[in-house]
This record gives sequence, structure tokens and C-alpha cells, in this order.
Amino acid sequence: MHNNKKKTIAVIFGGRSAEHDVSIITAHVPIIQSLLATGQFEVVPIYIAKDGSWYSEDAMNDIAYFKQPDFEERTRRNKKLQLSFDNGFKIIRPGFPSKTISADIVFPSMHGTFGEDGSLSGLLRMANVPFVGCGLFASAVAMDKALTKQVVAAEGIPVVPYVWFTRNDWERNKSEWKEKIEKLQWPLFVKPVHLGSSIAITKVTDATALENAVEVALHYDDKVLVEESVENLVEVTLPIMGNDDLQLAATERPLNKTEFFDFNDKYLLGGKKGSGVNSAYSEIPANIPPKLAHEVEELGKKVYKTLGCSGIARIDFLIDGARERIFVNEVNTLPGSLYHHNWKKVGVSNIELVSKLVALAEERFANEQKLTRTFKSDILNKASGGKL
Amino acid sequence: MITNILSRYRPRYVRSLVYMLQASEYKIGDYFAWLRRVKDFGAVEKRKQLTKSPKALFVLGLGWLLWLAIIACGVLVVFTTFTMYGYALGAIIVLASPFLLAYGIAALLLGVHLVQKPIGAAVISRARRSLARHTAVKIAVAGSFGKTSMREIIKAVLSEGKRVAAPPHSYNTPLGISAFVKTLKGDEEVLLFELGEYYPGDVRTLCNLVKPDIGVITGVNEAHLQKFKTLESTARTVFELADFLGEKPVYVNGESELARKNARAGHIVYDKNGAGEWIVESPHTELSGTTFTLAKGSEKMSLKSSLLGLHQVGPLVAAAVIAKGMGLSSEQIKTGIARTKPFDHRLEPKTDESGVITLNDSYNGNPDGVGAVIAFLASLKSRRFYVTPGLVEMGARAEAVHREIGRELAAAEIEKVVLIKNSVTPFIEQGLKDGQYRGEVLWFDDALAAFAALPHMTVKGDIVLLQNDWPDQYA
Repeated sequence: MHNNKKKTIAVIFGGRSAEHDVSIITAHVPIIQSLLATGQFEVVPIYIAKDGSWYSEDAMNDIAYFKQPDFEERTRRNKKLQLSFDNGFKIIRPGFPSKTISADIVFPSMHGTFGEDGSLSGLLRMANVPFVGCGLFASAVAMDKALTKQVVAAEGIPVVPYVWFTRNDWERNKSEWKEKIEKLQWPLFVKPVHLGSSIAITKVTDATALENAVEVALHYDDKVLVEESVENLVEVTLPIMGNDDLQLAATERPLNKTEFFDFNDKYLLGGKKGSGVNSAYSEIPANIPPKLAHEVEELGKKVYKTLGCSGIARIDFLIDGARERIFVNEVNTLPGSLYHHNWKKVGVSNIELVSKLVALAEERFANEQKLTRTFKSDILNKASGGKL
Repeated sequence: MITNILSRYRPRYVRSLVYMLQASEYKIGDYFAWLRRVKDFGAVEKRKQLTKSPKALFVLGLGWLLWLAIIACGVLVVFTTFTMYGYALGAIIVLASPFLLAYGIAALLLGVHLVQKPIGAAVISRARRSLARHTAVKIAVAGSFGKTSMREIIKAVLSEGKRVAAPPHSYNTPLGISAFVKTLKGDEEVLLFELGEYYPGDVRTLCNLVKPDIGVITGVNEAHLQKFKTLESTARTVFELADFLGEKPVYVNGESELARKNARAGHIVYDKNGAGEWIVESPHTELSGTTFTLAKGSEKMSLKSSLLGLHQVGPLVAAAVIAKGMGLSSEQIKTGIARTKPFDHRLEPKTDESGVITLNDSYNGNPDGVGAVIAFLASLKSRRFYVTPGLVEMGARAEAVHREIGRELAAAEIEKVVLIKNSVTPFIEQGLKDGQYRGEVLWFDDALAAFAALPHMTVKGDIVLLQNDWPDQYA
């Protein structure tokens, strides 16, 4: 029976995002449950409420806490957490006496804004603590669907033709943008660029529907992407793990019930099957020709490297089944529930998945520590006056 | 410490005591033994809950009345004396009430038993007379292990040509069997009985009730050794069936060493090689089932069962030979054998949506069965998880039996052994070391924690074997 000193790992979830609830599921299934099952970690749950307040209590390690009808009210009665970035990431649980817990590693489990968009990675980078998953730069680019297309297209990776604009652009010069959009091949998809889980995405076939769809998208975001839809569409997605050496899961094909794969398909309907994510509506591995499957894998690795992903990410593709053409659609730097159902199919258990992600976080952190960030200079002495 | 003491003063305490009585099958000795071990009465209902049977509810009511009566006595002492000694005595009675209750409830139960005994005796006597009039062939199955499986196999095979009835679940006590007899229609051609053995003489009593024509002895081993004290005593009790049958047919499982040693001239020994003149050819087992050919001279039957493991071949052969003796055709036997399938919690395979195959063998808690299952696991190619809290009631043989399990697991090169922390699993770990085990041992505080963790450890194609359950009274 082993009794090694356990590492303390803080799992951060919830957050001010439309995907707040999904984040709670990901945090528990598989992250917290698997970390606890290893017997090697002290798991500290850190929950960020929808109003942005931070809380932590041991009961939050159990997803049952968040299934209580009055959990939000119960949480609000708790004292808020205090944080310290003094040489590491420490949380201070208020009380008498207060308890300070120093996290050896942080496992962010936040989807969408403020979590997956690089905000949290930036905070943890400042705190100089190892954390799981993509860093600030990859997260920030991947969170913006238009920016992702611009970056990967610059590397010669195929993307469908698109137009993007901000709320300001649209309000000031709607007709000019509509003209640009007219030049695309219809039908089109209208998407808020920063939201995940297919929230507020609309497929449009005429100008009236387009205006409505843009209004809906601008309700959620101030930047909108309008892109061509792919005919004979086969959607596939590929989860990838690693820093320098990449490990691929299976190429998975979501089997859509509706016109496109929306939030309900992804989480709510699939959730009923008990697996958290859409395993009931997926084909793993995707039944596509081997040549296409190989191409998807190669493109997936190229996108991962281009964006500078680390830890884990999931690349979504659109395939024109008739013309056998593949387009990269978007990148998700925290796949819902880490896509553990898919990893299991390729022989990676939940415990192996979270343990490897933790190891990758430590590896990246160790490499970053070797970099020289500061150096001595006498520039301040010269700054006494005049031009430097 | 304080929690443990306070757990005796909570309202739930009465329910805990009744649960302990129920889980001990109202056997006062077992209940007392458990009572002495319990520290926290708030945690006795861990794996199971109190089943609210009429008897349990009656005892629960009785328990509450008794507790209130004891407390009332204490209060009465105070109010009738109004002296320092009176206060002290009253306080002592109230404080000691949980302890008095724990033993008082057992005494009350003994009283209930005394009332129940003549009623039970009348029910059994009626069943005995009813059975004596019944014209069906009566088959009795006795043994330390494998009785229910044997009963189900024989039932599946004989049902192809005969009207067969057998008590449901594991009804194997005089009262259980008597309740079943009441349900008979009278036109049954075969009646099948499982004879339970808990104490010496049990099998003889059941034989006198059932009066079997054919006997099957499935084996003798350490099961219930704590009660039998010696294996010889277990063997004598199981073979009370052979004593009763005398010259009538008795089938004995040759794969159980102690059963084989006790078999007498005229007994038909069955094992994976055959039974009597019937020889087993080309046996094969895999996750989808077991196949073999049963041959006697030029007569051959190619048989396939969904039961898993070569240890099932012997019982299947015994059932086929009994059926043959009762006039069933080869075709009927073949269909009957094909109908046999894993029973609940006895090497029952299930594949979940992630593609993980779970073999639920949680009702198998005897060393022979465990050995057979490990041998079956050894024949499988996938990554294997063996999950066990060890075996209960192994008495003085606990260390030897569990070390042997460890050595068998090491020899079978099982990749992951998941052990639940308790008094016997360290012996399995020791056995694994003896066998120079190269896989991984994973420890869990309790079975529920292990079950919760398993989905996170496994991947598509993995095989998870859940071996034995560890009821609350052994915690």
C-alpha cells in the first residue's frame, strides 16, 4: 500500500461564460473523478460562479453538489476565496483560522470566455504555476474563429471562404458588408466568433435570414463570422494530446440529428445517455476513406503546431464528401469532457488521460523555467536625463 | 472515538441493530460476533440497506419499545427515589440503554423464535407430506459451492423434455423449500432442490424433507469454514446427501479434491474430462461461451453453452448425463445446453458503451470457483483487471487461501489487481509477491470507491472481473 506524498492539484471550473454548466461537467467527468481515482493527488475544487466570484469547498469535488436545486444559493452563502500569486498559486479559504492551500499544478476546466480564451492561462502564467492545457497565445487565437482561420490559412491550410466584421463595422456600414457577403456562395453560416458549443450559430439561405442571424450573433458577441457552408457535408473532429510529440485520438464523426450539430446535440441529449458528451451520436472512428482519414490526421497535427497548442486540443474539420475536400473549421483548446469517450476507444483510460495531461503541464513548465526572462542592464543608470 | 460512542445514541441505532440481525439471518451467534466488532453504528449499513420485511419491521418496533422501556425504567428510578444513589442509578440505566438494548433485542428475538418454531415445524411437516405424495423425480444438489449454477444448468437441460420445477433464488433451507412446495401444481415431472449447509446435520434434515432420488455433490471447500471448523466436518455434512441416497445415483464433482476423495464406489464422478462412460473431446472456452463434444462409443453430441470457463464443462456434462439417463434425446440435450447462460453475478459478461467488458462474478466467493475463474482469465488475450475484497468465512485457512489466489493471479499474469483494504487482501498481495507478480496492484478503501474509479481506469477491450462481494457483516 503506497503512501507517497500527494501533489495538490487545483481544478478550476464554472466561470462567466455561456458554457458555465458544461464546464462543471468536464471538471468532474472525467477530470476530478479520475484525479481522485489515481490516489496520487489532493484535489482542490475551485468554482467560479456566474457572477465571477471564486469559491472552494471540499464538497465541490462531488458533482452531486452542483445538482442540488439550491446550489447557487448555498454557494453564495460561502465566503469568497482569496488568491495569492506570491511565488506560486495559493488559495486562501477564509474562516477561523483561514486555510492556505498551495497548488502544485492547476487544471483549468473552463470553456468559453474568460476560461478557454487565454484569460485564465494568462493569470496562471503570471502566478508561475504549471497548468494543464494550451497556453495564453494558442487559447486566445483558437477562441476567435476568424483569427484561427487567418492564422492557419497563412500556413496554407484549407479553410472555407469567409467574411468577418465587428458590431461597429456592421452598424456603420451594413450595406458594404452585405455586399461582401453576397459574393460568398450561399447558403451561409453566421457565427459569433468567440462562442463555443455551437451557441447562436445559424444557417441562412436568404438576405432577410442573414440580417436576423447577424443580429442574434451580435447579441452574444461583438465580432461575427459569415462563411460558406460545405455541401455534402461530413463533419469530423480529432482530439490531439501532447507538447512536442503528438498523440492522436480517433477521428470522430458526430452523427447529427438536426441540420447541424448544436448545443443540445453536444451536451443535453448526449448527457441523457450518461456519458456527458455526445458519444451516443458519434461514429468512432469516423467511417471515411483511409486517404481522407490520413489527411485529417496530418492537417490536425499541422494546425496544432501552427497555433502552438500544448497539452490537449480538438480540431474540427468540414469535409465535402462528394469532392473529398477537407477544410479546417475551428480549434477547441478544452474539448468538452476532454473527449474521454474517444480517448478510451483508442486505449487511453481517463486516468491515463488526466495523468498524461498533468505530466505534459509539468514538462512545459520545466522547459519554460529554463528560459532566460530577465537580465542585468545599466539602462536605469543612463535614464537620468536626455535621450536613452 | 466520540463519533463512535455517539453513534449508539442516535435514533438510527435501533435500525442498525435490526439490520445487523437481518443480515446475519437472525442467527444470534453471528449477530453477537458482529456486534463485538462494530465501532461506528452509523456506518453498518454500507453495502446494503435494511430490507423492510414484516419480520424486520416487527423487530424494529420491538426494539423501539424496548429502548423506550429501558429509558423509562431509568427515569422511574430517579422519580421514585429522589436520592443521590437514585439519580446515579437512573443516569447509568439511561446511559447504558444502547448496550442493554443490543443484547435485550436478541433475547426478545429468541422469544419470537420460540413462538415461530412450532409454526415453522407445522409448515415443514405439511411440505414433507406433500412431497412424499408427489410423483416427480426429485434431484437434490449439495456442496460448498456451485449449487445454484448446477441447479440452473440441470433445469435448463431437463426442461427440454420434462416439466421441471425448482425453488427460486437460493431457497435452500427447510422453510424456503416448504414455501416453494406450496406453489407446486402436482403435474411436475422433475423437482430440483438445492440443499443449503450452514451447520452439521443441515443436509440430512433437508434430505428427510425432500427424499431425493438423484443426488449431485458439487464440491467441498472452505466455504462457511468458520462455522464448520474443519474441512472434514464440511465434507461429512455435504456427503449426508450420499448417506441418504445409498445405492441411488450420486454424481460427484471430481474437480473438487475433497469431494473426489470422499466419493464412494458406485458414485459417478464428473469433471471436464467427462462422466462415467461419457468422454469430453476438444473443449474450448472464450468470451462468447464454451464448446465441447460429449462422446460415448459412436454416439457424439456437439455442445455449446454461453457459460464461460472450462470449469463449467463438468457440470454441463453431469446435466447432460442425467438428462440422458432420464430419456432425453441428444437433440433435446443439445438445445438444453445451448440454453444455459451465465446467471446473475456469476461470471456474467456485460459490455458497456465504451467497449469495456465486465465479468460480474460477485456471487462467487469460494476458492475453487476463484481458481477456475482465474484460469479462464488466463486464457483471454485482453488487458485484465481483477477486482476483489477477498473471500469471507475462510477461518484459519484465510491466509493460505488468499496467498494462493495471489500466486494464481501472478501466474495468470493478470495486468491489474484491484484490492479492497481489509483483513485478508494483504495476504493476496503477499501471494502476488510470492509469485513475482509484474503487474500493478491498486488499493481502494472500499469497494464503492473502486467501482467509482474503474470506469476511469479502463479502455475499450479491457476485461474487468468483479470477484466476490464483501457483505457488511465482514467489514
